[in-house]
Amino acid sequence: MTDPIYITGTGVVSAIGLGKAATLEALLTNRSGVGQLRYLKTEHKEFPVGEVKLTDAEMRERLGIPQDAVTTRTALMGMLALGEALDEARLTPDMLPKVGFISGTTVGGMDMSEQYYLDYLNGDAHKEYISVYDCGSCSEMTAGHFGRFAFATTLATACSSAANAVIQGANMIRCGEADIVVVGGSECITKFHLNGFNSLMILDTEPCRPFDATRHGLNLGEGAAYLVLESAESAKRRGVAPQALLSGYGNACDAYHQTASSPDGEGAYRAMREALALAGLQPSDIDYINAHGTGTPNNDVSESQAMMRLFEGKVPPVSSTKPFTGHTTSASGSIEAVFCILALQHGFLPVNLNWSQPMDDGIVPVAKPEKKTLKHVLCNAFGFGGNDSSLLLSATAGLRDCETRDDLSVERHCGLDPQSSTRRNDIFILSAKQISMQQPLSEEWMDTPIKYDVPFTRSIDPGFKEYVSPIEARRMGRILKRALATSKEALKEAGCDTVDAIMTGTGFGCIENTEFFLDALSNEGEQLLKPTYFMQSTHNTISSLVAIQTKNYNYNATYAHKGISFESALHDAWLQFRLGKIGSAMVGCHDEMTETFYRIMKKGGVMGQDDERCGEVAVSVVLSRHCEERSNPETKPLCRLTGLKMLHLPTMNDLMDAVTTMLQSAERSLADVDYILTGISGNHENDKAYLAETKTLFGDKPLLKYKHLFGENFTASGLGFYVAAQCLKMGYVPAECFVDANLVSDKRPICLLLFNRSDGNDYTMVLLEK
Amino acid sequence: MDELIYTLKQQIIEALNLEDMKPEDIDENASLFGEGLGLDSIDALELIVLMEKNYGIKLQDPSQGKEIFKSVAVMADFIQKNRTK
Repeated sequence: MTDPIYITGTGVVSAIGLGKAATLEALLTNRSGVGQLRYLKTEHKEFPVGEVKLTDAEMRERLGIPQDAVTTRTALMGMLALGEALDEARLTPDMLPKVGFISGTTVGGMDMSEQYYLDYLNGDAHKEYISVYDCGSCSEMTAGHFGRFAFATTLATACSSAANAVIQGANMIRCGEADIVVVGGSECITKFHLNGFNSLMILDTEPCRPFDATRHGLNLGEGAAYLVLESAESAKRRGVAPQALLSGYGNACDAYHQTASSPDGEGAYRAMREALALAGLQPSDIDYINAHGTGTPNNDVSESQAMMRLFEGKVPPVSSTKPFTGHTTSASGSIEAVFCILALQHGFLPVNLNWSQPMDDGIVPVAKPEKKTLKHVLCNAFGFGGNDSSLLLSATAGLRDCETRDDLSVERHCGLDPQSSTRRNDIFILSAKQISMQQPLSEEWMDTPIKYDVPFTRSIDPGFKEYVSPIEARRMGRILKRALATSKEALKEAGCDTVDAIMTGTGFGCIENTEFFLDALSNEGEQLLKPTYFMQSTHNTISSLVAIQTKNYNYNATYAHKGISFESALHDAWLQFRLGKIGSAMVGCHDEMTETFYRIMKKGGVMGQDDERCGEVAVSVVLSRHCEERSNPETKPLCRLTGLKMLHLPTMNDLMDAVTTMLQSAERSLADVDYILTGISGNHENDKAYLAETKTLFGDKPLLKYKHLFGENFTASGLGFYVAAQCLKMGYVPAECFVDANLVSDKRPICLLLFNRSDGNDYTMVLLEK
Repeated sequence: MDELIYTLKQQIIEALNLEDMKPEDIDENASLFGEGLGLDSIDALELIVLMEKNYGIKLQDPSQGKEIFKSVAVMADFIQKNRTK
């Protein structure tokens, strides 16, 4: 059992209202927000949707954002919800530099990109919107509206994104990395995913009827919600009362299919079971479940099976609130968590609207309004690829029990032994594999790098037959095949059959298929779109495919936050190692780039400026708490991961503090660091900043670079991690990697510090040691 | 009919991106799903798109596909009887 985390503020926007008061009123009076489509410009008027009842212009007005400022609907809804949450928790702008922000979205800025896609291709009109296409931009705009948060990242696990943001925020607090983390998600309806779901034939033309015998699919919705997670100690110090407690959570992978849930709901079962175990509760303690309950024939069977299995036939009251809001996709995890908190606070069971006939082998949901005192509730959110998560929320009435216990120190939270040396807490890098513009799955680049004088190059692919059968390959873009090849090779070299967790970073996701789908949507219209392109357009396709192919039911998450997507995934693993939740993990990062996409990104100023070359990324790394107990003990670990820091819009003082504390906790000093690996890339402004900042932070330490050999992309820093790990293993740094040719040295590297500045907004530092 | 079967095989290979397969490799009487070619629900959706695009046949419910997509021969027969283009 672990200490519950306080929830000291919440904010919500959805089809049933702006803010919590309107939301509560709708839930208590069974007022649905699903209706005829009004705001989205689409041919598909036949589908009912749950839209937020404001135009973008009206949202801008409410928020005081100029009508011509660059933003997206996802970011605007996020700001509306985040403002309410911050107010409730009494967090003012001056406090934000100590507060983390983790948001979930998958659609990101697609609303603008689908409108302007042809402009992006053919001219300069609306090119300012190119830089807000990706998921991370939406999170940064949402957060930036209120001030400067200490930390920002983005989860993109499709419909469980927001739930996974809650989990990551909780892990940060339990690890003592932050006292307060604001978590949740936002997602607007777009033509892109309305048509995508339509191509999968899972949209109902009638109001959705979860768990009903006649259910025929889902209604799409939109919205945003954020929760302020806070340590008990911090909330008491600030005198802020919790609204509810986060007492458990679970994340598991169904590892079954890219878009369908398994018939027995394995992933859902495991996620709920883990949430109970973390909270130290029994199934009989649960008073209510807010089901994922989308209303598709497949989901509701699978989820029913999982619930009946876990609760052994004695399933507590269940409802899906999606008939109120529609399926709010990436935001559903946090929106429905807020519904659960309202239910806990006000003592009622939300109704499963539109239900009348029991389905075969399914649960019978709450059909009539009911007052009920609730103590513990589960809130489910499942995503494509089987990224299943469950949150366990509890009423504050039970708080007395844990208040009487001593306030636990960080060390006890973390499962770390404070007396132990750093060595005991080391994380070993057992293998690191890459496919890029250098020789694939090989370290040839160290002695004979391939040099390019073109601004953009695609990766050199190995043969994929060894990793994927032709029939399996039929629906895999190159990014997926590369991910499987690097993952399988990394597992093989590490001597691991399986790992306890899979974390993946990707800035853009499967961009090639996204482009195919956008092309078809823009040129051929909204009919006859290929489901294959859509199902590969979600960022978590990569991570979940690796899980499906390696039969891995464990923790699985995908981060999509610009230039720190890789480090965000690594950070997730880092926290879970320190919490003792995992003993091994595979962290990967994957990005692709097509000719068209390169031109668009260059036009938008996102990458490819000046002398910067762009490329594609596939990196898989296996990390382990142990370097023994492997089937192949001959292979020595490449190096150890001993420090990791992530910062958002830091001041120079913040950066200096981060260097000092990271080195201190690794029991190192700056004198021990041999080289600084930078992301110097040929972008003049960025390179100048790298030189100035590293000079201030690290003095005259020799600087290394790698992007001139591997190219720039959002997850290029994962290739930097790979480069550093190989240099430590091989005991030398290729002359080609020195920033200053006069400083080339054959000094054996023992300790490398990886310094990544992503546009100067987000910074990461990673410490790797021999 | 033989011509339709052959064309259909080509269209299936293209729609499902069955790399390295030729029309001759597909037995028109073998089942497309499960034991035979090993296709799944997403392929069924692609076949629905294929039928609408090339033959003007619109299926409203994916579950109708179960019968129609039993084999290439059954599918061709259905197309023959229901095509609008």
